[in-house]
Amino acid sequence: MTVTDTLAQHADANLTKGEPLIETIGIGKSYGAIRALRGIDLRVNAGEVTCVLGDNGAGKSTLIKIMSGLHRHSEGTLKVDGREITLSSPREALDHGIATVYQDLAVVPLMEVWRNFFLGSELTGGRFPLAPLKTRQMKRIADEELRKMGIVVKNIDQPIGTLSGGQRQCVAIARAVYFGARVLILDEPTAALGVKQSGVVLKYVAAARDAGLGVVFITHNPHHAYLVGDHFVILKLGTTALDRNRADVTLDELTTQMAGGDELTELSHELGR
Amino acid sequence: MSHTVQTAPAPTPSEPTNRVTLGWTNRVLARPEVGALVAAVIIFVFFLSAAPSFRSAESFFTVLYQSSTIGIVAVAVGLLMIGGEFDLSAGVIVYTGGLVNSMLCWYFGMNLWVGALVSLAFCLAIGFLNGYLVMRTGIPSFLITLGTFFVLQGANLGVTKLVTGSVSSPDISRIDGYDSLGAIFSSSFKIGPVTVWITVLWWLLFVALAAWVLTRTRTGNWIYAVGGAPDSARAVGVPVIKTKIGLFMTVSFLGWFVGMHTLYRFNTLQAGNGVGNEFLYIIAAVVGGTLLTGGFGNAVGVAIGAFIFGMTSLGIVYAGWDPNWFRAFLGVMLLLAVLVNLYVKRLSTARKVG
Amino acid sequence: MTTRRFGVRLLAVAAVVTLGATACSGGGRERTDDSDSGGGNAPGSSGFTIAFITHETPGDTFWDKVKNGAQQAAKDTGVTLKYSNDPDAAKQAVLIQNAVDSKVSGIATTLVTPNALAGSVKAATDAKIPVVGFNSGLDQYRQLGALMYFGSDETLAGQSAGQRIAQDGGKHPLCVIQQAGSVALEARCAGVKSAVPGSENIQVNGADDAAVTSTLQAKLSQDKSIDYIVTLGAPQAVDAIKAIEQAGSSAKIVTFDLNAQVAQDIQDGRIEFSIDQQPYVQGYLAVTSLYLNLKNGNDIGGGKAVLTGPSFVDGTNIATILPFTKNNTR
Repeated sequence: MTVTDTLAQHADANLTKGEPLIETIGIGKSYGAIRALRGIDLRVNAGEVTCVLGDNGAGKSTLIKIMSGLHRHSEGTLKVDGREITLSSPREALDHGIATVYQDLAVVPLMEVWRNFFLGSELTGGRFPLAPLKTRQMKRIADEELRKMGIVVKNIDQPIGTLSGGQRQCVAIARAVYFGARVLILDEPTAALGVKQSGVVLKYVAAARDAGLGVVFITHNPHHAYLVGDHFVILKLGTTALDRNRADVTLDELTTQMAGGDELTELSHELGR
Repeated sequence: MSHTVQTAPAPTPSEPTNRVTLGWTNRVLARPEVGALVAAVIIFVFFLSAAPSFRSAESFFTVLYQSSTIGIVAVAVGLLMIGGEFDLSAGVIVYTGGLVNSMLCWYFGMNLWVGALVSLAFCLAIGFLNGYLVMRTGIPSFLITLGTFFVLQGANLGVTKLVTGSVSSPDISRIDGYDSLGAIFSSSFKIGPVTVWITVLWWLLFVALAAWVLTRTRTGNWIYAVGGAPDSARAVGVPVIKTKIGLFMTVSFLGWFVGMHTLYRFNTLQAGNGVGNEFLYIIAAVVGGTLLTGGFGNAVGVAIGAFIFGMTSLGIVYAGWDPNWFRAFLGVMLLLAVLVNLYVKRLSTARKVG
Repeated sequence: MTTRRFGVRLLAVAAVVTLGATACSGGGRERTDDSDSGGGNAPGSSGFTIAFITHETPGDTFWDKVKNGAQQAAKDTGVTLKYSNDPDAAKQAVLIQNAVDSKVSGIATTLVTPNALAGSVKAATDAKIPVVGFNSGLDQYRQLGALMYFGSDETLAGQSAGQRIAQDGGKHPLCVIQQAGSVALEARCAGVKSAVPGSENIQVNGADDAAVTSTLQAKLSQDKSIDYIVTLGAPQAVDAIKAIEQAGSSAKIVTFDLNAQVAQDIQDGRIEFSIDQQPYVQGYLAVTSLYLNLKNGNDIGGGKAVLTGPSFVDGTNIATILPFTKNNTR
């Protein structure tokens, strides 16, 4: 059984490739007097991977925080499924099918794998405050789902902190997909990983795309982005520096832009070598 | 195009899982209360052999009573610490609760039940305020509750002095409602020669309830999550603020509860008392395996921590030794507990079984 | 909408319950005019300002009475009283220095840590400000340069308690120390021991009544030969009564200091007697003596310390004293 098939099982059947899920028009964010982000136009389409690249401090994380409901935007409009909204909490974003997997905040390390899998969406035997968790069922589902996606943990009861970084990212992605995410925002999922583990994560990104999900892939590695991306946006100092479809851009262009582009050429003249 | 992940053989979903079961030693060692349990058994056996008068049912229940007056609040403090926060006002709020009840009823001639409920509302409001300020400002709870601690300590003394003209509260034993409230909070019954205080039963009940909430309910999951990694918890939709404020209010609720016990057992309260007990609660929680930084621990461990406290504080007396050494002994226990916790945490997280 | 209506109804119910309960409860405060116990420090008419400095740890009924005595004296003599306190020796020294710097007419201070306070007291005498010691510092007040002293001798107080216990046939008293490392409390227990050699000390956590009770209960069941419990503070005496009931012991209780409840217990025979060092008198005399010294050059005590205790309170005189404890002056 392939990962794609498994993902397709859980993905929303109504997703049509190319349909816009999230759209930002001239969106921006100010923290007091500091404008961290302005004038960003971005479309996240179903079945496509939108890569957001940029150096540290370019505004990537501000953009994610707006889309995932951690911060409200202060200018422009945010449309989800064509309707204009403001997200005020991660819960609200999740209710719209927007799930975010953070690089270092994906999981709670000391909690068991199955508890992490169901965190925030626990199965309970009723709605009253002391309602018991359906522990057995939750363990079984978590184990099954992870296996289906090719992640084998020896013991579903072990703290998730004992898994490798790549596995933790995968569990987080699997969890988001299982709970019906339609948009997957991945914040630097490969940044802390080795080559082999990055490969595993990238396969998941592609699989999610193929299942019809809209994926926002945030990275500062143009090579990783180019492997899976359909659309590329480079942020610089809070504004858009490049916005191209895959057909209109080469890996070299991306790499040059990321490395500093014209500034780099200038610098190389100045250094005179 | 399809991506097959080759890193592992993919069994069919319906196939029963073939999990590796870890050896029992590993599983047992990963439990938070193990260190405390071992220590409790050692201390218990030690006092059994060293102190002849320790070996009676009466003594055992006196120890349980002593443990319960610390243990009830310690359970809540343990939950709060698992949730990643501290409450230094927990010791003083016990007396705040009792003083509000006694002085309100004495001054206005109210039924004690009304005073008890007003006092409960007041304590819950303080808990809420603690939580709200911590969550709203982002200032560490250590500082916020240190502030509340001093405010309450001063207000306890100042208000008592204003109302009664002295720094101890008036005797309330002749006000209506005393007997019924006394039956709930501070009664005792005899089984043979043994006196069982009702606080011991309340303590066991609260521990059982906390254990159930922590391991078997959604709230418990959230408590671990907000303590272990609040940002991750928030990102997957856990109501972090509500959970933490709820924990602060639990502490003030159980503080109020012990305040009621103290008031209805002793009828008058010294307004300056309760200071220092907040550390005993924290010690009980830490000795019981609660991680100081949050996210790890359980209710049974905290109960064992409180029992160790009760056992050593009285065991030294039963053995006829100089109780001046008690604090030093407590300090050693705390250091040992912290070391055991560190070791256990390394063992359970550093092991790569993937 | 519905929740709001529910809230209103709940409030109404609560109000009715409160009113009903208010109307029909007894046993609370006696609704008479407040008795004139402490009194405020009205602006002085005699023109003197006296700094009154103690090592009080906030929340102790004992110091309440000292303060009440000082305030009454200030009122009676028309002196302006400046009260300040700090249990920490270094900080108390600073308080004395503050009083010197603000040029008060006289200073009354406790001398619990003579060495730490010597410098500040010397600064006061150098500035020609009369200093009076009270409560503690019996042996050192002269050396430090204080003019007079009002207090009790802790060892002597302990001895007289011990002698009385011995007379009544006590062999094995338990002396309860509620605060670790206090010289005065240790001295009292030492005094008891000098009169009854079988005496034994125990340390309890005075800030937690439940802990005091269970510790004493444990001790009583460990050692059945204890025939007297000597508590060094009034609240602990009340805890000791509970402990004796629980342990089924027949030990008798003797205590230092008084409060309303202990006075009641003495009258009801649950406590044998109390050794009172009359804190109200200490505060009152310290202020009055300074006033007399400033006004009239008087010296009280004829060059010797004036002892305010030990004064025994037992079944024979409790009837007279009981009303005063309710005023918080004894």
